[in-house]
Amino acid sequence: MKSMVAVGGKLAIICIVAAVILGFVNAVTEPVIIENKKEQLQHALEQVSGSRPIGERVDVPDNPVVKDYYPLKGPEGGKILELIGTGYGGDMQILAGYNDNGEIFSVILMDNQETPGLGKKAEDPAYMKKYIGTGTDEHPVPLRKDQLPQAEADAVTGASITFMGLANALNTGAEFVKEIGETK
Amino acid sequence: MIKEFTKGLLRENPIFIIVLGLCPALAVSTQVVNALGMGAGVIFVLLGSNIFVSLLKDFIPEKVRIPSYIVIIASFVTIVDLAMRAYAPSLSKSLGVFVQLIVVNCIILGRAEAFANKNTVGKSVLDALGMGIGFTLALLVIALIREVFGAGTITLFAIGNFDGVIKIPGLVDSPARVIGLSAGALLVVGYLKALFTWAQNKKRGASS
Repeated sequence: MKSMVAVGGKLAIICIVAAVILGFVNAVTEPVIIENKKEQLQHALEQVSGSRPIGERVDVPDNPVVKDYYPLKGPEGGKILELIGTGYGGDMQILAGYNDNGEIFSVILMDNQETPGLGKKAEDPAYMKKYIGTGTDEHPVPLRKDQLPQAEADAVTGASITFMGLANALNTGAEFVKEIGETK
Repeated sequence: MIKEFTKGLLRENPIFIIVLGLCPALAVSTQVVNALGMGAGVIFVLLGSNIFVSLLKDFIPEKVRIPSYIVIIASFVTIVDLAMRAYAPSLSKSLGVFVQLIVVNCIILGRAEAFANKNTVGKSVLDALGMGIGFTLALLVIALIREVFGAGTITLFAIGNFDGVIKIPGLVDSPARVIGLSAGALLVVGYLKALFTWAQNKKRGASS
């Protein structure tokens, strides 16, 4: 009995020391990480907006895919949507610019845990070309690999789940844009 | 003393001879830059855990040694993860979940259990450096083969105008994509392991 307490106590001491050290490291790095994230988001928003002025963020409650959106104030209108897609490694944060008819004009993949070298390739702006110009009623978002030209279908081989996760999120976004466009 | 350092490089190379830590080696060896980042992370964690396991070898009770090692290792991994997120966000992004997975990298627990808890701090430091560098070298070789043949590129760190990607003419347009995929990882590691075993047997044959 006594030895059990001693053994457990020693393990507890190790854990407590580790927790204190990690708390200290966290306190130092947390503000830097938050600042990095903010900067990244701002930078990504500017990239997605295509030099249209960005409005204030509007939160979208009760929507599992569309987290929030930023209305674009230029004469062309449109919105930037922050979307949450489901990839191979869990949630993917996506920023996408839409025209009011649901047409996608730019996409960036932000935070994700996709496999390096496979799903991660979606971070390359060239990857997103297959989605640009889709989202309208005439040109829907390609949801399956066989809706892509052969060369692009080959490029998503090995990372179909990433491709479908992005496509589904972007499609939901397009529906969302068309819906709130109508209610206005 | 010096052999504690050199043994990890070739003779007891963690990947090719001891065959430990294969999962991260297969997963992050798609690009050279990932191999370097992962290697640096593993060297740091291995160094930290070997030092502390060696220092605390008389304090840690035999019965709970594995949980104690895991706590020590996990703490160092968390430090690496937070530091990378704060000061090298792009590297942290490209390594993704594999940084946290250093916790379950068998090399680190393996060295704690097989070496650091029986040896002095000095020897454990040399062992950690040797094993860590050996792991990094192995990862680099695998990544270099996979990236060159699987994608036709060599990705390094971006400095100034140089975006960090070296394109190899001829290969970049028609790479053998399978080498970059999971199956290619197994193939490359398998052939390299065969090469190492062959070299080892040859050496043994010559000395006996």
